Amino acid sequence: MNVLYVEDNKINAIVMDRMLSKDTSNTVIIAQNAIQALKLVTRQPILDLILVDINLGVDQMDGCELLQKLRRLDITTGIPVFAVTAYAMPGDAKRFKKVGFDQYFAKPVNFEKLFQSIDKIKLKK
Amino acid sequence: MAFTVSEFEILAEKTLLFLMVIDKDGKLITMNQRCETIFPFSKKEARGKSIIAFLIDEDASVMRQTLSSLTEENSKQNIRFRFVTKDKALVSLKIDFVLNTQVIYITGIDTTEEDKEHASLITLSKLTKTGAWHFNPKTEELYWSKECYHLHNLDTSIPITRAKGASYYPESSRAHVEHYLDTLITTKNPYEYTEKITTENGTEKWVKVIGNPVLHDDEVVFVNGTIADITERHLDVEKLKSNEETKHLALKGIRSGLFDHHIEENEVFYSHDFRKMLGLPLDIDFMPEETFRTMIHPDDAEDALKRHYENLEKDGNHYLNHYRLKHLEGGYRHYEVYGYRKKNEENKTTRMIGNLIDIHQKKINEKTIAENKNKLEAIVNNGFVYTILVDTKGVILMADQNSLDIIKHDYDVNPIETECRFIDVMPVNFKNIFAHGFNRACQGELVRKEVERVTHKGAVQWLEVKYTPIVDTTKIISTVLLSFHDITERKLAELATKEAHIRAHELNDIKSNILSNLSHEIRTPLNGIMTISDLLLHEDQPSERKKLLKYLEESKDRLLMTINNLSNFSESETIKEYLNYSNTDMNYCVETSYRAYRHIANTKKLQYDLKLDESCPTAHIDSDIFSTALNNIIHNAIKYTPKGSITIAVFTKPSKPKNIYITVEDTGIGIQKKNISKIFDPFVQESFGLSRKYEGTGIGLSLSKKYIEILGGRIKIKSKVKKGTVFTITIPALL
Repeated sequence: MNVLYVEDNKINAIVMDRMLSKDTSNTVIIAQNAIQALKLVTRQPILDLILVDINLGVDQMDGCELLQKLRRLDITTGIPVFAVTAYAMPGDAKRFKKVGFDQYFAKPVNFEKLFQSIDKIKLKK
Repeated sequence: MAFTVSEFEILAEKTLLFLMVIDKDGKLITMNQRCETIFPFSKKEARGKSIIAFLIDEDASVMRQTLSSLTEENSKQNIRFRFVTKDKALVSLKIDFVLNTQVIYITGIDTTEEDKEHASLITLSKLTKTGAWHFNPKTEELYWSKECYHLHNLDTSIPITRAKGASYYPESSRAHVEHYLDTLITTKNPYEYTEKITTENGTEKWVKVIGNPVLHDDEVVFVNGTIADITERHLDVEKLKSNEETKHLALKGIRSGLFDHHIEENEVFYSHDFRKMLGLPLDIDFMPEETFRTMIHPDDAEDALKRHYENLEKDGNHYLNHYRLKHLEGGYRHYEVYGYRKKNEENKTTRMIGNLIDIHQKKINEKTIAENKNKLEAIVNNGFVYTILVDTKGVILMADQNSLDIIKHDYDVNPIETECRFIDVMPVNFKNIFAHGFNRACQGELVRKEVERVTHKGAVQWLEVKYTPIVDTTKIISTVLLSFHDITERKLAELATKEAHIRAHELNDIKSNILSNLSHEIRTPLNGIMTISDLLLHEDQPSERKKLLKYLEESKDRLLMTINNLSNFSESETIKEYLNYSNTDMNYCVETSYRAYRHIANTKKLQYDLKLDESCPTAHIDSDIFSTALNNIIHNAIKYTPKGSITIAVFTKPSKPKNIYITVEDTGIGIQKKNISKIFDPFVQESFGLSRKYEGTGIGLSLSKKYIEILGGRIKIKSKVKKGTVFTITIPALL
């Protein structure tokens, strides 16, 4: 399963890669910002899941804007997009769902739940 | 048997009769002693004296005529002659004349007293146009005095009968006139009536007839009466009546009545309306004034009477009085009297014609108006700050003193004296809002508006203006009441509340943002730490473990910095107590901070420069907290500058040798003007919420400001959005 993870914090990106890569059938592609993510999406047509951080750094497109751009692309049609963010105040989960994310994961990430969600996607295939 | 001579002599002398023997020329042959009382000579000197010379002129010719017309067959009786005595007294004698063998025998009786009475009666009768009559019911004989004849233009020589008397009345009233007399005879009650008659020569007259019974053995043996010509008066009455009618029509609805007061006769004629108004009997035209007086309210009687007499005596012809009169429905009502007085030659009022007007309603209205006016004035001057009453054209009818003062002050107009529209005496900026409210009020709507007014002293006054349409009895809007309520306090409180609310809301937002930021800043490194811990548990390869441990260290450092900033801030108050002042080389101090961030700046590929001033004096500061302050600013500049340059400089100004300036200039995103003052608030970052793109708690800058101020310096910011920001730290130099 091919997963695109959009994350500006290097350590968080690396540790996500390590965690998901425990399942050897998974391939994690990292994008450090939204622009990179959009480029990667067009180059890598076989994506099964996109994980998006919200705060993507100074003067950069944030996760919500990126989601809207992704939704407009034909290529990403049907690919689930999850928000993975340190914004975890009451109401944040609802807000991100409203923006259009399929699922929301607060940092620190509960990997048990994330894996369950990934398993469900796999089952659908 | 005849008298003897001596008997006759005595009789002739002792009698009260005046006895004379004269010739045909009126010259005395002889007379008795009694005649000496009228002639200025004695009985002995009488022979040859003419009696005609002692008669008044009027009677002298009558005497001559009488003497010449005497014949032996035709004697004359009961002729009255008036003699002038030596002391100029007038003596009336009723004389019988007898002619016998060329000698005239005169028998006279003194009627002076009766004549006087008679003469005055006749005069009275003539003057009052009143005749006397009497009637004997037994014999049906009717006697008329001369005036009665005159009244009927009938020759006195014609004998009068009851039938003849009745014939002067029109056929329609003849029967009941006769009935009056018959009734009197049976009931023995006097009567009185006023009727019209047609006299011998066809003139129509109004007469007032009075009949009084004379009783004997409780039976009417005689009826004495008078008949008076009241045509003039009656016509006056009629005229009044017709005037009354005209007036009544003209003044339909006004309650008034006419009266005609004959002062000499002490009789007042009251018009029909008058009597109706006061509840007087309708069948009596005339009434004594006293009756009327009893109807005046006891409290008013004295004053009214005083005014009445003053009125009668004053110059001119007018009459004016007022009083309350008893009303037929009970209670008293207010009346006013307007009159016209008729005077005689002696300037004495003999007659007064007047109009009595019921002004009760007017009085009550006046009272109500006065009361309402007082009430209104009380409301106007106490209830509201300003109150103005305008008509539907917007013209000011009434206004409270405050409003009048303002209008007078601002426009030099007194709306009570000069007609003026409210819209013309208000500030231009009110005109529109006023016109709108006023027009709606004129359509019957109760309108409320708030306006802000600046007084001439410059104070702000908030007013709530209420436009109240006032409807008259016909439900038409006649006026609009504008009441101004001072709501300045309320308004200011409202504004303060609003501001406080906004502030509270803002604070709340800031609080959520702070929490959100803190949470984000803690969760981000925590995510690394937790995930790495998990990975380490299952990682056996030493090289990998080493890598992971390095990542763990970085995440831990970041978390620690956040926590330190937080605690630094909360501890800043206690820091003051542990300051460690020393003479510090500012160039060295700033360069140290510059170097500390060079690595980060290089990573972001920013131009990163330092400009030092070798001539810069030292400063007496705690270099640790100065460095913390400057570091935060440098870190901040790098954080918010995606590309371009960061320049850090130390310099002095010759004009201000006491200061050392340290500037941090970037080409970053800049700060919006409205937010410049906020950036030093603890926990506030310039951009909030989801659009926040920069990491950090936001505590940094506020901490920097606090530290620099502790050291006796200041921080200033100049910024332009998308161009960059300059932070200038001023530190006092050690001189």
